Amino acid sequence: MEKYSHDLIIVGAGLAGLRAAVAAAEVNSKLDIAVLSKHHPLRSHSVCAQGGTGAVMREKDSYDLHAYDTVKGADFLADQDAVEFFVRQVPREIVLTEHWGCPWSRNAEGKIDQRPFGGHTFPRACFAADMTGFLEMHAIYGKATSYNNIKFYDEWFVTSLIVEDKAAVGLTAIEMKTGEIQAFRAKSIIMATGGHERIYEFTTFSHSTTGDGMAMAYRAGAPLEDMEFVQFHPTGLVPSGVLITEGARGEGGYLLNANGERFMKKYAPEKIELGPRDVVSRAEQTEILEGRGLQGPYGPYIALDLRHLGEERINLRLPLIRDVAIKLGGVDPVKEPIPIRPAAHYSMGGIKANVKTETPIAGLYAAGECSCISVHGANRLGTNSTAECLVFGAVAGEEAAKHASSSSLHEVPQEKLSAEENRIHEIVSRNGNERAPAIRDEMRRIMKEEVWIYRNGPQLETALKEIRQLKNRFRSVRIEDKGKPFNTGLLETLQLDFMLDLAEVTIACALPRAESRGAHSRTDYPKRDDQNWLKHTLAYCTGDGPRLEYMPVTITRWPPVARTY
Amino acid sequence: MGIKVEKTVEFRISRFDPEQNKHYASTFKVPIRKGTTLLDALLYIKDNFDDSLTFRHSCRMGICGSCGINVNGQPMLACYTQVLDLGADSLLLEPLSNFQVIKDLVVDIEPFFDTYKRIKTFLIKPEQEFKKTDEFAQSPQDLKKYWDLTLCIKCSICNSACPAAIDAKFLGPSSLTATYRFISDSRDQGLDERLKPMADNVWLCTQCNSCTMFCPKKLPCANAILDDHSLLVEAGNIPRTVKDVLESVYKYHNPMGTHQSRRMEWAKDLDVKTFPTVAKADVLLFVCCSNAFDPRNQEIARGMVSILNRLGVDFATLGAEEWCCGDHMLRLGEKGLFEELSAHNVSMFEKLNVKKIVTISPHCYNTFKNDKPYSDAKLNVQHYTQFIAEAIEQGRLKLPNTVKRRIAYHDPCFLGKRNDVYDAPRNVLRSVNGVELVEMKRTRQNSFCCGGGAGRVWTEEADPDKRPCVSRVKEALELGVENIAAACPFCITTLEDAVKVLDVESKISIKDILEVMKEAA
Ligand SMILES: Cc1cc2nc3c(=O)[nH]c(=O)nc-3n(C[C@H](O)[C@H](O)[C@H](O)COP(=O)(O)OP(=O)(O)OC[C@H]3O[C@@H](n4cnc5c(N)ncnc54)[C@H](O)[C@@H]3O)c2cc1C
Ligand code: SF4
Ligand code: SF4
Ligand code: FES
Repeated sequence: MEKYSHDLIIVGAGLAGLRAAVAAAEVNSKLDIAVLSKHHPLRSHSVCAQGGTGAVMREKDSYDLHAYDTVKGADFLADQDAVEFFVRQVPREIVLTEHWGCPWSRNAEGKIDQRPFGGHTFPRACFAADMTGFLEMHAIYGKATSYNNIKFYDEWFVTSLIVEDKAAVGLTAIEMKTGEIQAFRAKSIIMATGGHERIYEFTTFSHSTTGDGMAMAYRAGAPLEDMEFVQFHPTGLVPSGVLITEGARGEGGYLLNANGERFMKKYAPEKIELGPRDVVSRAEQTEILEGRGLQGPYGPYIALDLRHLGEERINLRLPLIRDVAIKLGGVDPVKEPIPIRPAAHYSMGGIKANVKTETPIAGLYAAGECSCISVHGANRLGTNSTAECLVFGAVAGEEAAKHASSSSLHEVPQEKLSAEENRIHEIVSRNGNERAPAIRDEMRRIMKEEVWIYRNGPQLETALKEIRQLKNRFRSVRIEDKGKPFNTGLLETLQLDFMLDLAEVTIACALPRAESRGAHSRTDYPKRDDQNWLKHTLAYCTGDGPRLEYMPVTITRWPPVARTY
Repeated sequence: MGIKVEKTVEFRISRFDPEQNKHYASTFKVPIRKGTTLLDALLYIKDNFDDSLTFRHSCRMGICGSCGINVNGQPMLACYTQVLDLGADSLLLEPLSNFQVIKDLVVDIEPFFDTYKRIKTFLIKPEQEFKKTDEFAQSPQDLKKYWDLTLCIKCSICNSACPAAIDAKFLGPSSLTATYRFISDSRDQGLDERLKPMADNVWLCTQCNSCTMFCPKKLPCANAILDDHSLLVEAGNIPRTVKDVLESVYKYHNPMGTHQSRRMEWAKDLDVKTFPTVAKADVLLFVCCSNAFDPRNQEIARGMVSILNRLGVDFATLGAEEWCCGDHMLRLGEKGLFEELSAHNVSMFEKLNVKKIVTISPHCYNTFKNDKPYSDAKLNVQHYTQFIAEAIEQGRLKLPNTVKRRIAYHDPCFLGKRNDVYDAPRNVLRSVNGVELVEMKRTRQNSFCCGGGAGRVWTEEADPDKRPCVSRVKEALELGVENIAAACPFCITTLEDAVKVLDVESKISIKDILEVMKEAA
């Protein structure tokens, strides 16, 4: 095992991680910064973000409006001090990325153009065509590589975080190319590892969003906050879950059930297909549950029908959607409806962090989707996630840099390193009779059948039991590949291990929350209950599963009212 | 959505075990449905048959650039390709080319990303400009000028297909395109700084067009590189070798540096008619500077004459009025010179009221068809292989002799990749009695450039192992063929050079198709 030392280590090179790296490098050009990522930075999930980044850029808009939209979208579970800070910071971030070269779409005056987005009362989504996250990522990465004091460790898979006396002192990582386990020491560590959507099979997210950082922080003693809140998007392409953008419905696409009915007329008589995400997702799920889904090899689905728009209009207005449907779904929307169904689309929960991105562990910071600060509360608004990554990525970079400048490196105890080495070695050399893909699929079946859009007490209890059984079975997982270099069989098994913890936490947090709020819909408790549940859930890791605590929501200016649109 | 399994496809996968340093192959049978992508199939194999199968993937939506692999010799994104669309029952999956393999389908892409470190991937402006708290203004029209070039997902597919990239000195198609993306961004003021990192290597690009053909995001890389060339030419920042070629053309209207009055010497004893000596002919034969002046290639031109005569075609050349078509000059970035050359040739075509042009070189053919002002003149132009293939098909051409020989055909990029002419040359070769036509591993769309395009045929200075032609001849040697046949004078020059460099003249020789025909005549 080799030992590496840096002042600051950033785990994850998505929007949040890269933004943090640039911010830290700007604070102190002497600071020795490392960015570890299990993929090359430009392979991070963030490149998939499409629609836009919400920012108050024009006079008719205001911070208060953006803040209120966010708080209302969050079903009042967001911390309002964090939201107020957040909305004031985004415009600066947009301008910075622009200065670095991001090709934002422009209006006729040559200024950054903005468009409307669900849940926002002002057209404030800055966008770069429909490749916003992609182009932000390339702009920030282009900038990040220009600093001499940022060292990139691409394709280094972090396996554990090392905490001594309630302070983060280092971590362990597998250098994928060689398969060697290496140790790192640092004065500050930022987690920017993204969401955990892959605990679900059907998700809009990349294969790599397996929540590793959340699980590592949790195991190291940091609490996870509000993990029961997972957002669902109404139009994931069957079978892969790839996002079909709202544009398809915006242009006049129909959602049809097996009887060919535009069922949304029933659920949202005015807006029909253009109702808010959660309403449409729930409606689709109801149709499916009541047997009116269409039948396909990958389970029941809903038809997104664009045929009436005609080939010309489709080519003109929705060329990318047509391309995606053909290349990824094997269907041409000009000739047949696109098979879709709701897909897991965001994890509102994450590592508990404050407005300065500090976690309860000294020297450990969290930013981006792996964190919970919380600006999204029970339900995130579209365009607020990339915005959050930029804003709090920058904050994390600055704060962690300051902390690193004023503290010193700690020794990482050898026994902890050996323990981690042994843990991984044991997993590779096991001779059990279980296979990781089978356990993974079973976990995803449970999450789909019992912890999906609609939840209820008995199902969640069953789910918790089943996940715990799976965790037991996991102990007998056998990996056929015993080689060291690029052992993706091993890495996927480690990711599964992380996901099993996170699935357990998600269920354990959902079970007691006896209300429906934002993305958490309980059929046995269909109403929001501010009396008892206007509070954040915190999950701490213990030997036998998560221990839950609760924490008040910070409300500054907007007391909860009914969330209607 | 079909429930049913449409078919079962055999996946043959090239494997590499780094610990044993062992290359091997595995075969799996995968049930394919409508909707199944190559990546789905790989995941299926990993889940169900072999968890050691190693490949990269992440977004599974064609945007993260992880999953490039070679499929039946062609680079593509695994996640963005429907298996059914490939229309094959058996697929060969290999790692991308031009990279070191780490394991199975995973290659070391570090050198690829290192090329981005040699260029500046952010806006360059005077420091104080960045203190502005507003965005820099940019009109939608200005944005449009470089927008397409921002869509690169850095999948390295272009690099895998690029013949110039076998030389690490070359920045590679995507970094050169990224350079041009910033240069053409109205906000950027770093032109001089941006020209530097490419000045000594961008000339290695042969303009074969492979990068553009295979780019999953349809970036016009080859054209962006052409524009890079132009900027360097404008700045006068060009190597001596390139300068020499351009100067010859300025002076003599041909790159060979010989006076135009000697342009018809190749045909001294052949009694070839020339315009304007004759006022009219059915066909204008456009000879090409290389065939006219290079003693080696004059044989090719003479071969063409004998075929035309055998067919009884009424033809003439432009004689001393045939100026260089300008294809190489345009692709070297000398747009002004190209304008002059093309204006002259077009005016000749018009003056003589030419009805049909047959070119011997694919480069003349390509530029006549695709580049303004030629393309605006709507010329009726054929490459000689098309012209002859037609005659053969109509039964007008029969060659008496047998040429008993195994021959591999090398697709010239400007005929194949740029103009989709793949079958005519093969049909001509097959019509020769006794010829056994052998396909090289890299063939047709997936063919590998000889390294001669965009003037490189005259400017070549690279070490042998970094020359595309050497790689190509080695590939043919493995097939044990006696000839490589081509249908382009520049392919002939470069490949023949490679035969000499490799010292394999006794094993293999390079022939133009016309020369093979001559033997059969
Ligand atoms: C299809 C789609 C469209 C979207 N569109 C929008 C939109 O329009 N607007 C918007 O605001 N949001 C959008 N989102 C949400 C947004 O994309 C994400 O929330 C955001 O990109 C998360 O960024 P991140 O930096 O937190 O993490 P990620 O981009 O997920 O990056 C995580 C990083 O951590 C690394 N990592 C993870 N585990 C490890 C480990 N064990 N060791 C080392 N490194 C590790 C990864 O390699 C990666 O670099 C969209 C999401 C999807 C799925
Ligand atoms: S130019 Fe095209 S092929 Fe090359 S890296 Fe970019 S996207 Fe891939
Ligand atoms: S045109 Fe050919 S040689 Fe030039 S960069 Fe593209 S692939 Fe390489
Ligand atoms: S997996 Fe991302 S491009 Fe294919």
